[in-house]
Amino acid sequence: MKNILIAFCLVLSGTVFTSFTQQNTDGDRLLGVWEPSNGRARVKVEKIGSKYFGKIVWLKEPIDPETNQPKVDKNNPDPALQSTPLKGYRMLKDFTYSGNNEWTGGTIYDPLNGSTYSCTITMRDANTLDIRGYIGVSAFGRTDVWKRLQIQRN
Amino acid sequence: MKLRIWILAFTAFSFGPIWAQVDSLPVEEEEDYSMYDNVSYADAGTKAYCTNKIEGLSPSKLISVGYDYQMGYSLTSANTPGGQLTENYDQADFARSNGMRLALNVPVISRNDVIVQVGANYWNQSYALETEGANNPVATGLSNYGLRTTGLNLTVFKPFDETRFFLFQGSGDLNGDYSFSDIMPLGYTKYSAAALYGKRVSDRKMWGYGLARTYRVGELNYIPILLYNSTNVANTWGTEVLFPARAHVRRTFSPRSMLFLGYELEGNSYRMYRTMMPQNDLEIRRGELRFRFVYERSLKDFIWLSAQFGYRYNYSFNADQLPDGQEFFRGFFGDQPLAMEQSLTNPLYFNISVNLVSP
Repeated sequence: MKNILIAFCLVLSGTVFTSFTQQNTDGDRLLGVWEPSNGRARVKVEKIGSKYFGKIVWLKEPIDPETNQPKVDKNNPDPALQSTPLKGYRMLKDFTYSGNNEWTGGTIYDPLNGSTYSCTITMRDANTLDIRGYIGVSAFGRTDVWKRLQIQRN
Repeated sequence: MKLRIWILAFTAFSFGPIWAQVDSLPVEEEEDYSMYDNVSYADAGTKAYCTNKIEGLSPSKLISVGYDYQMGYSLTSANTPGGQLTENYDQADFARSNGMRLALNVPVISRNDVIVQVGANYWNQSYALETEGANNPVATGLSNYGLRTTGLNLTVFKPFDETRFFLFQGSGDLNGDYSFSDIMPLGYTKYSAAALYGKRVSDRKMWGYGLARTYRVGELNYIPILLYNSTNVANTWGTEVLFPARAHVRRTFSPRSMLFLGYELEGNSYRMYRTMMPQNDLEIRRGELRFRFVYERSLKDFIWLSAQFGYRYNYSFNADQLPDGQEFFRGFFGDQPLAMEQSLTNPLYFNISVNLVSP
């Protein structure tokens, strides 16, 4: 009886672990550095806990021509956040991998107008993402295509 | 005892990684961002394309629910040499002209190398005669039935590379004094189109030129068009121009609040389908210039208010006779006689709409 119970635990834990690591591996394909279609920024996707986040790591125009200082999130509707540097800002938040090459449940922030949209990320191929920001329902949205970048080591 | 330890050990091993994950964000470590200066596309075949927007441009509207109101004005209808009208009708005075304007635009394909958007619109314009009984069948028909437009449109943005792009817009509109219970044949649909080649020269400037088949001047015409959108470095001033359809200077107070000064050329050709006239097959060629202030601001998140106030200048309200609805091209220089030469005096107007704007 003891042996049967031990065997059952082993099988169960093995199945759970395999499924978990598989899900993890699939979801982690999102990790890396990506470029939105406008080419104005580069975004690094990281995993924090079980969720995926994307932060701005490069800006085409890093200096605000008005202030001659590094750009900050001046369009944020929350005045307390308007002095936050854009470089390092997490514009993708709270995504979880839901299978079928889709990461859902997250939001995308547009620093150009200070708006946050619901968002779904779909991996079209290993180097291409469809980032769909939308309002309420997916039909009222816009899809931007992001391309994976690789860092050139000198 | 041994069994319990086994079970505990395996359970901890299995679920340990899940429990170990914490959703709160860690303290940001200092990162050397210079490493992201030198990158390349992971897929060597990737090509970059320009987008259809520049920085600071007013947001495009996905859904628009609006109301348009013109103050009182007069209509005069006169006979024309060679035309079908043999008598002059009475002058008619309208107390107001007003109606709903609805529009829906949905992006159906949104990729870096092509964007396709489809839309639908419905405009209803009612005309309130100041005094009934005037001998002017056009005015009586407008008062009885009003004018409306129901249309579908398609927009395609096709970038060739990081700078050059092609833009196509096409629409089909059913314009007239019909109602949905007495709708006129779809054969009367008016088709408009515009094709434009342009360059997005920077994140703050794009221009283009092309050709349009349009009814904005009331009757069918083919005219050159120019696009010029720009925003200054501080994102406080800009232009949004698609000449000759519209041209505005933009003052940006914030990305959620903008004021425009400029004009729009608005018009179409309307079939008098239900109005009984001595001449049948009449088309009203409505073309008007709206010199205006437009204030747009976010009410809450993606719900924007747009308020216009301005002066409506009549360019054309003439009438043509189109047997069997067959359209003809007069252009600026054609000498085909009008069925009626009509003119409107010019009132002030306002327009207010609530819009759901695009991400």
